[in-house]
Order: sequence, then C-alpha cells, then structure tokens
Amino acid sequence: MKLFDKTLTTLERSLDARLLRQNLLAGNLANVDTPGFVPRELDFEAAMARSQAQDALPAALPAASASTGAGEISVAGTGIPSLPSLPSLTDLGALSGARPGSGALSPIVTAQGAGAGLDGNAVDLDRTLASIAENTIQYGASAKAAGKKLAILRYVASDGAA
Amino acid sequence: MAMDFLTALHVSASGLSAQRVRVNLAASNLANAESTRGPDGQVYRRLDPVLEAVPFDAELAGATSAAGPTLGVKVAKIVADQSAGRRVYSPSHPDADPQGFVTLPNVNPVHEVVNLLTAQRGYDANATAVEAVKTMAQRALDI
Amino acid sequence: MDGIRGIELSKIPERTQPASTEPAGSGSFSEALGQALGATEKLQLSADSESEKLALGGGNLHEVTLALEKADIAMRVAVRVRNKLVDAYQEIMRMSV
Repeated sequence: MKLFDKTLTTLERSLDARLLRQNLLAGNLANVDTPGFVPRELDFEAAMARSQAQDALPAALPAASASTGAGEISVAGTGIPSLPSLPSLTDLGALSGARPGSGALSPIVTAQGAGAGLDGNAVDLDRTLASIAENTIQYGASAKAAGKKLAILRYVASDGAA
Repeated sequence: MAMDFLTALHVSASGLSAQRVRVNLAASNLANAESTRGPDGQVYRRLDPVLEAVPFDAELAGATSAAGPTLGVKVAKIVADQSAGRRVYSPSHPDADPQGFVTLPNVNPVHEVVNLLTAQRGYDANATAVEAVKTMAQRALDI
Repeated sequence: MDGIRGIELSKIPERTQPASTEPAGSGSFSEALGQALGATEKLQLSADSESEKLALGGGNLHEVTLALEKADIAMRVAVRVRNKLVDAYQEIMRMSV
C-alpha cells in the first residue's frame, strides 16, 4: 500500500540537498582566510533536476552509473590537500540507506575570479552569508511542507482524531 | 545523513577556532611591538598562523559523502616572520649591538589591527553559520 | 525629465475567489458530495505541485504555505463530513421500521 507519494520524496531530497549546501557554505566560511582557497557551491536547481531525472531510469541500472561522470570535483586552489578517493555510490547506498537519486548531488566549484583576494582566497563573505540565509529559509520551508503533508496523512489515518 | 548536521557544526567550529588563533597572535604581536627580547633571547619576531583547508567527513564518518569531503580549516602551524626588524640607533640600550643599533621587532601595528578586524569579521561569519545550522536542525525536529 | 511613473498595479497577481462548490440548483446528494471531494482533491494536488516547485528550488514561499494550509483544512472538513455521514447512516440503519 503506497502511502507516501512522489512529492514527499522530492521534498526529502530537497532537504538533503539543502543540508549539503549548508555544509559547503559553512566550509567556505571556515576557510575565509585560507590562502588560495576556492569556494564551493551547490547548483541547487541542477542537482535537484538531476536527482529527479534518476527516477526516469530503469531500476536495473546501478546508481553509480547515473551521474558520477558529471560529479567530479575539480579543485584549482593551491592550498588544498589532495582529496581522498571517494567510495562508489553503490557503497554509499548500502551505508547510509540513501534515498534513490540522492547520490546525484555534487558540488560545483565556482571560480569567483573577480573577487579573489591578494592571497588567492576567493571567498565572497557577504554573498556566502546571504546564501546561508536563503538556504536556511528554504530548508525551513521544505521541512514545513513535508511536515504538513505528513500531518494531513496522520489526520486522515487517525480518522479525524489527531 | 544525520551526521551532516554535526559536520556543519564541526566545520564552523574549526573556523571559529582558527579565527580565535588569529586574534591571539595579532594581540601577541601588538603587545610585543617593542620587545627586544623574545622567548629565545633574540628580538621578538611577529607570528603568523598558516591556515589550511582540511577535509572533515573522513574524520567523522569514515566515508565521504557523495559530494566530496566537507572542508574545514586548521591552523597547520605558526611561523615567525623572518623579515628584518627596524634598526634604531640607541647605544645606551642594554640590547644594543656593538655598533650601537638596537633591532626592534618587525611588527607593524596597523597591519596587526587590520588582521584583528578581519579575524573578528571571520569569527562573526562563522558564528552566523552556526546559528543557521541550529535553526535548520530545529526546523527538522518540528517536521 | 520624465515624470515619475507609478508602480503598475498589474504587477500584483490577481487573486480570485474560488468558485463556490454548491451546485446551482441540482439537489442530488451524491453530486454535492462528489463536488466537495473533487474540490478537496484539487486542493491537495495544488498543494503537491506548489511543494514540488519549492523542493526544486523555485516556488513562492507564501503560495506554498497557503496552499498547504488550504489543503489541510479542506481535508479536515472532508473527514468530518464523512464521519457525520457515517453517523447519520448508522442512525438510520438503527431505526426500526
């Protein structure tokens, strides 16, 4: 019996994406004074579109083939240590019970050339703070929407008692 | 994914610590702007932190997220600035060299104050990030 | 210098009163019920589509919240009505003829 519809899944995915974006932005702020640091940002619409598109793929395809090609992180800054190799997405699926399609999220490095400081640091503090504020609001909105949908279901399921 | 709330907090905490180190070093430099004797007996040399971006997920979760490691910051080391200090002619000074010159620390107070201000700005920014994550977590609990 | 032009009121979206669900003259009970359920369903779907828009990154914050509240209220009303109907039915069945 299918209780929870596609919209709820989409909302859940959006919450995942918002949290990931928050982590990236927090990382940018933590490195606001690190020389040579290139800030990272998640293209939210693109990431969501990609994870929605995964629904259209037949279930037989392993999740790893869907998007890792486009998900490579290219890091141009000089001050960043080499990144450890990433486990394959199928491993992640087993590890974290990932929702289908949530493996498609990947950050995009933005080379904010115009704003690069003398030490090579390119973090735009004000824009990052604004992005964090926007992200927080949108996260709250998605959480509220998910909560409301579940509340409606709960009301119906409990026969109007709750 | 519950781990990610903690990740964001740890990342911001690392930012707060790093900025605090910068504040401490700027304060130390300012306080010792005229110290002709440092801890090693030589003239005081201004101290600089070396900041390095470090991946965080690997430490916490043992597996990186699909998007790559979250980068926090760490003070890799504190280096003494080796540039030459000012030399002032003052033969009666106890630390004067045989030519009568005293080497003063290579501290430029204006430079240090600017560092203090940017460190404060960075600290505020990271504190804002912490607030944002707290808000998000509370919204999640209200679902 | 040109005079200052006022903000065009056309920029503010129109909000129309939703059509009343009461039928014009038909007294059929099942029709009325069907229409009420249809309206509820429509509100649920519109709440869903607004939520999707929000989740995908776009959408209008107050549109979503309003749509969700309307859907919630409509569902509550529908459930209440259903409960009353069931009670009424049971009442009738209990009547000894």
